[in-house]
Amino acid sequence: MKNRWFLALLTAVLFIISACGNNTGSNSNEGTNNGGTKAKQLAKISLFQSKVEIAESLENLASKYKQETGNEVEVWGSAGDSYITQLQTKLAANEGPTIFSVQQGIEAEKFASYFYDMTNEPYAKYIVPNMALEIEGKVVGVPIGIEGFGLVYNKDLYDPSTVTDTASFVKALEKFKADGINGLSLSQTAYFLIGHIINTPFAMQADPIAFIKQVNKGEVDLKEVPEFRDFAKVMEAIRAYTVNPVEVTYDKQMGDLAMGKTAIVHQGNWSYSMLADYGDLNIGMAPLPIAGNDKLEVGIPSGWVINKQASPEKIAAANAFFEWLYTSETGKNAILKDFGFIPAVTTIEPTGLDPLSQEVYDATQSGKTLPRALNYFPQGIIINDLAPLASEFFLNPSMTPDQFLDKLRDVWAKAAK
Amino acid sequence: MNNAKNGIISLLIVMISLLFLSPIYIMIVNSFKTRAELYENVLSLPGSFSFEYYTAAIKKMNFFVALGNSLYVTTATVIFVIVLASMMAWMLVRRDNVWSKIIFFLFVATMLIPFQTLMMPLMQVMDWIRTYLHLPMLNTHGGLIFMNIGFHAGIAVFLYHGFIKSIPVALEEAAVLDGCNTFGVFWRIIFPLLKSISVTVAILDVIASWNDYLLPSLVLSEKGLRTIQLSTFYFFGEFTIVWNQAMAGLTLTIVPIIIFYSIAQKYIIKGIAAGAVK
Amino acid sequence: MPNKKIWYFIFTMPLFLIFCIVVLVPFLIGIYYSFVNWDGISSNPKVFVGFDNYTALLQDKRFLASAWNTIKFTLFALFSVNLLGLVFALIVTSGFKTSNLVRTLLFMPNLIGGLILGYIWRFIFTDGFKQIGEITGGDSIFFNWLIDPNFALIALVVVFTWQMAGYTMVIYIAGIQGISEEVMEAAKVDGANIWHRMTKIVFPLLMPSFTICLFLTLSGAFKIYDVNLSLTNGGPIHHTELFAMNVFNEIFGYGNYGLGQAKAILFFVIIALVTITQVVITKRREVQM
Repeated sequence: MKNRWFLALLTAVLFIISACGNNTGSNSNEGTNNGGTKAKQLAKISLFQSKVEIAESLENLASKYKQETGNEVEVWGSAGDSYITQLQTKLAANEGPTIFSVQQGIEAEKFASYFYDMTNEPYAKYIVPNMALEIEGKVVGVPIGIEGFGLVYNKDLYDPSTVTDTASFVKALEKFKADGINGLSLSQTAYFLIGHIINTPFAMQADPIAFIKQVNKGEVDLKEVPEFRDFAKVMEAIRAYTVNPVEVTYDKQMGDLAMGKTAIVHQGNWSYSMLADYGDLNIGMAPLPIAGNDKLEVGIPSGWVINKQASPEKIAAANAFFEWLYTSETGKNAILKDFGFIPAVTTIEPTGLDPLSQEVYDATQSGKTLPRALNYFPQGIIINDLAPLASEFFLNPSMTPDQFLDKLRDVWAKAAK
Repeated sequence: MNNAKNGIISLLIVMISLLFLSPIYIMIVNSFKTRAELYENVLSLPGSFSFEYYTAAIKKMNFFVALGNSLYVTTATVIFVIVLASMMAWMLVRRDNVWSKIIFFLFVATMLIPFQTLMMPLMQVMDWIRTYLHLPMLNTHGGLIFMNIGFHAGIAVFLYHGFIKSIPVALEEAAVLDGCNTFGVFWRIIFPLLKSISVTVAILDVIASWNDYLLPSLVLSEKGLRTIQLSTFYFFGEFTIVWNQAMAGLTLTIVPIIIFYSIAQKYIIKGIAAGAVK
Repeated sequence: MPNKKIWYFIFTMPLFLIFCIVVLVPFLIGIYYSFVNWDGISSNPKVFVGFDNYTALLQDKRFLASAWNTIKFTLFALFSVNLLGLVFALIVTSGFKTSNLVRTLLFMPNLIGGLILGYIWRFIFTDGFKQIGEITGGDSIFFNWLIDPNFALIALVVVFTWQMAGYTMVIYIAGIQGISEEVMEAAKVDGANIWHRMTKIVFPLLMPSFTICLFLTLSGAFKIYDVNLSLTNGGPIHHTELFAMNVFNEIFGYGNYGLGQAKAILFFVIIALVTITQVVITKRREVQM
């Protein structure tokens, strides 16, 4: 009698939990039923990736995939800046996705123990040379698109053929200031403030990865490296002649470029989507001409990998999905048109690219490219150390380029520990 | 005359509160602007009031499914928290022994732990429960509700604990003499007296579970299970925010909770009035 | 009396059990992690290092600075949130016509989740303040607070206050309405002025509400992360990197799981001591009915 209430409550608790248990239970039943009726049905897989911009197109693609093949891909989503945290936590709980995206370099090395070796899968052969995500000589991830960055400029205001080295670039910025135009705009987000622009002096080294390792140990006096000296000069010119980047948001950076208030921004081909909202624009992409550089930085921002811990059925289904993605008309169309990516596989003919992507693609064809050295920077350093250092430099006019480079060396060595 | 003065003061206070709401103004006007308009001026009124971003946001977010999920999770969480926390708090106040002190201390102290440091071990514990007890704690609403109860218990117990202290013990003693058992005493005598604090707990807890992003994002992966907050992810890229749709989605997200609050606050007043009669 | 024990068990056990599974056990595991060297990837090795993480964090100047910033932030926030919350509560319970409407309006900031809140306020500090500065000419106050090391922290306090004041208001309202009309009427008849009625009757009877609100503000301020991330992201130059963000960056940014946990545990012990002291002090001053 006394315990009746308690029992009722307990039943209620159990009911809530089991009710939901049934939910998933019935879902998985569905799966097996379907499997029973259609012999070729593959296991349902999940896909988790960091580009929010393509999330909706990816969901549409998944439903087309289901229509065409009967197989299911469940697309997960997360806000861009919480992706890695979620991925890491879900993997820790054995709740990880079948396919997920990771950045090349340090991030990929961190998650390497989860990667399925896809070297011998047919789709690995479609990948454009040097664009696969590789670890120890094995292909572990497929690139979904190529991205490049450099100086995105207004063709009416800036002519890159007249500016080919640091001195002429600094002069150009000075002149823009005299004309009342913001010469070069960075923006406050860590990658746009320093992460991308600092890639150039690193990527220009003969062996960027070995060079980064030396910098990690604090062994390199960056003042003595010509590319870095020139880089610091450009940063000083930005401080002297342009609007303080710390005050500029990404939205404002692109808006100012579109409205002709800014001549050049340091950005990538992805930023075209921000410009498209302003109507037709006369823009192009050029190399950042420090130390005579004439190349764009091009690479794959991330690769899609298969989780080795998934069941063999799921791994097979994931392989089938990649094959379909790169060979079917629907899949190829989605990468090129819906995602708006520069394809990194030979099976897709790049047509109808936006102007910035076209320039990046042309650079890959002519070989005038620099690698994405920044993927090999110590983990977290761009957001946690480099961005604060850059803001300090931009906010403090008395810091000299030499002091900046010294501080860069110290901060870097500390973060790399 | 006095009435007019009262009216002016009322008006003045309303205007001050409206100023307090200026960030919400920014949210609403920008839910109608194109990217170019937003770039021109964040503070100005939009050029046109078309609801296209609202319809786009509703479609992208799968709004009504997400709304249903959020309603279910929030309601279940709040009911369990109110029932369980009020019972516990009452016992802790009335049997003030060492155990009560320890439990109360634990509940209060753990409210100070940042969730970010708990999330990895928490997910591992949930994985163990799933593996060894075969209870589906991950990727289910039930699991999320269970975890919500655990995380929201501290503040609820804390609030009830403070309130129950002010209820005279004499009331309960009379009931016991009348032959009520402990359960009867609590549900018939005490719980009705807790109405106003229960509504307060409900309000605070509804907000907490409605607005929660981090925990649901870890527990729920499948699209069909997403709560309303999780569904807003489409607008937040790593570098870019689709402002108009994000603001529209956000406006839609807080409407249900404003309605809830407007209704609930009347009960606080009624609850107090009923309590005063005793 | 065994019967009494069973009832005690029945009333407290369900919630306590859930609480243990969800909060306590993960917390204990977290303590264990603070003694290992690990990058947070579950398939990578964990190496037991004893107290190394704890000695390392004492040399971490950035962590110590962030702890100090958190304390400053919390003290400011504690004051402003509760002052404003109490004033709001007194206004809306004073019984004028529009009090219901005002009550809803003042509570609304609380309904917006932390991340987006920070983004919206960033518009206000960058665009809004600039425009106000240009119009009024008061650009010594109205400039972009977010890039000034001192004002950026105050900006955080402002946003946190804006959000939390309505929250504490709800609790103060519950407290104020619990004070019986008769007591107030009697005091009025006895000729007590408004100041006396406040200090001699309202505030002492509100002590339980103070206990709760102070504690909630304290724990909210210590744990603040979302607004911190979206409003200042720790900047300029780490000046507003508060405690939770520092721990988060250590764990997920640098991938030093053990060190991050050690920071969290150490800081937790300190805060717990402070807040428990606060609760004990204010609880003692509560008036028993």
